Amino acid sequence: MGASQTRSAHKYQDLMDKTGFSLEQIKNLHKRFQQLSGNEETISRENLDSIPALANNPIRKQIIEAFFDKRNQHQNEVGSLDEIGFEQFLMVMSHFRPPNLKTTEEEREAMRKEKLRFLFNMHDTDNDGTITLEEYRKVVEELLSKSGAIGQEAAKAIADAAMLEVASTNVPHMAPDDFYEGITFEHFEQILKGLEMESRMHIRFLDVDTTTMRCGRSTS
Amino acid sequence: MEDIWCVAAAVFQVWMFVVVFFIMLPAMFGLSLGVTGVYIQILVKILEWATLRIQRGRQEQPGVPVPLPSGIIERAGGSMEEEMEQLRSSRSMEGAEFDLSDAFYFCKKGLESIVDDQVTQRFSSEELASWNLLTRTNQNFRYISLRLTVIWGLGVFVRYCVLFPLRIALAIIGLSWLVVGTTLVGFLPESSGKNWLSELVHLTCYRICARGLSATVHYHNKENKPQKGGICVANHTTPIDVVILANDGCYAMVGQIHGGLMGVIQRSMVRSCPHVWFERSEMKDRHAVTSRLRAHVAAKTKLPILIFPEGTCINNTSVMMFKKGSFEIGGIIYPVAIKYDPRFGDAFWNSGKYNMVSYLLRMMTSWAIVVNVWYLPPMTIQDGEDAAQFANRVKSAIARRGGLLDLAWDGGLKRGKVKDSFKEEQQKMYSSIIAGQNNISCPKTSSESPEEQ
Repeated sequence: MGASQTRSAHKYQDLMDKTGFSLEQIKNLHKRFQQLSGNEETISRENLDSIPALANNPIRKQIIEAFFDKRNQHQNEVGSLDEIGFEQFLMVMSHFRPPNLKTTEEEREAMRKEKLRFLFNMHDTDNDGTITLEEYRKVVEELLSKSGAIGQEAAKAIADAAMLEVASTNVPHMAPDDFYEGITFEHFEQILKGLEMESRMHIRFLDVDTTTMRCGRSTS
Repeated sequence: MEDIWCVAAAVFQVWMFVVVFFIMLPAMFGLSLGVTGVYIQILVKILEWATLRIQRGRQEQPGVPVPLPSGIIERAGGSMEEEMEQLRSSRSMEGAEFDLSDAFYFCKKGLESIVDDQVTQRFSSEELASWNLLTRTNQNFRYISLRLTVIWGLGVFVRYCVLFPLRIALAIIGLSWLVVGTTLVGFLPESSGKNWLSELVHLTCYRICARGLSATVHYHNKENKPQKGGICVANHTTPIDVVILANDGCYAMVGQIHGGLMGVIQRSMVRSCPHVWFERSEMKDRHAVTSRLRAHVAAKTKLPILIFPEGTCINNTSVMMFKKGSFEIGGIIYPVAIKYDPRFGDAFWNSGKYNMVSYLLRMMTSWAIVVNVWYLPPMTIQDGEDAAQFANRVKSAIARRGGLLDLAWDGGLKRGKVKDSFKEEQQKMYSSIIAGQNNISCPKTSSESPEEQ
């Protein structure tokens, strides 16, 4: 009892400016951060690894790695961190923040580019600015099952075929001996140009304005 | 100086007199003087008043966060295939086999899990929508008015200085009575008289302990109470569950032998009636455990066994996976649903955060413990059903009755990690989507929908 409204708003003000989340959303995410970190100051890879629902996800290693990747911190650094604090957690989540009514056209374009950049960084594991065939193959293998309907050979074939298609779209006059280094970010953007991301590729926060108060807990 | 001692001694004597004659003796005979009922009614009135004040205070100070009941984000309900179709259709690519954009789908799902998931929140205490005047639940609530603070201060005084010593005294009396009584009964030869006496001793002790927590229990459907030779299963929130259930009938407990005070209690209990205590090494051997339990159940004259199949304490908002071992023993299962009212005190034992002693202290300084216990009709395993399906059926019945969420996740995730087989299932689903679209190296013909593994 006692923390006034303005004090917490001030604390989160520069976070709001940097990440674009609202105060409500930041507070909810902070609670979640506390839950994940066990009330510590930082989260490590093990904390994220222990989320049961995440274990279902075939590319969970890449997703977790994305949180510790410095390139996703909007700061032009490369490399990876061992632990992240709340600010870095928010920076990564801000790639997927929902657009509100006030977002201008340029801001939407910028957000779109951010999301593409995020996905690009996830594929480009050695930070050299291109997705090589090896890296691409790795992602395909993770997504497909090692023991399911598609064997490893078939997975390789799929990756090769997709890569070939990308190469032919972007470098149309490649001689048969030319070596295609890999997909650069501009190529990546080009490939995914038509992909409609605005309405689906963000996290939708529930509305906090409704107050249903009864004596006791709300029924769920 | 001596006057003070005389006065203190006199006060102590009066107090003990009150405790023994007005609380302990009626408890032993299952009578109630109605004091607790009046107390609960007064409490409810005070808490309702407090809620209205807080609500009024909130309207004057907008922007105060409210805990959300079902998580903080909204999720799309579609299946994997539907969502991928939507992603791909926006690209208008013909016959796309595998697409970079598919990774987006998994990315989004992964981020959603990081922001909010169904399991992690079950292992911490439930958040209340309005404050119940206990400091420990005061997370989001601010200073609203002077009157509220005064009431809160009064509450602290009442809980710590009036109720707490009373409850400690009752608890000590109850436990020592249990040890002494069961040891005495243990000296008698085997007879129906001994059984009757041991039941009496157990019941009175648990009733005193329940008074020691100011527990008010409402039992529903008493006609379905567990009978001898059966197995009673219930959802697990706290070690106090045992006291709550044993207030209304005698059960044979199952568990590990501990050292210290618990061990003394366990050893004396087993002298008067057969409980099933295991050594730590025996617990690892599933067959030994099952055969001992089976032998106990087969002897129809023995008390019903009490088992908590979740294996760990959950925070009473949901029921997690029941371990099938308890359902392989055979015999009739009597399910029981236990629901605590969170307004009066948070009964969940977060064993990572609090040890047993501090947990009991928290319990004894809450307002009260109000519980609803529903006895469900007995169930037996049906033909063509295996133990896991039977366990799920019982779990759903308990969840429905108690108003709890029915989750399929394992309570053991509190301490351990999820098996890799879950990830493989998602991989298989995705690869069958891709394979289904271009007939790659698989014997099945192209199909519209992914096959369920």
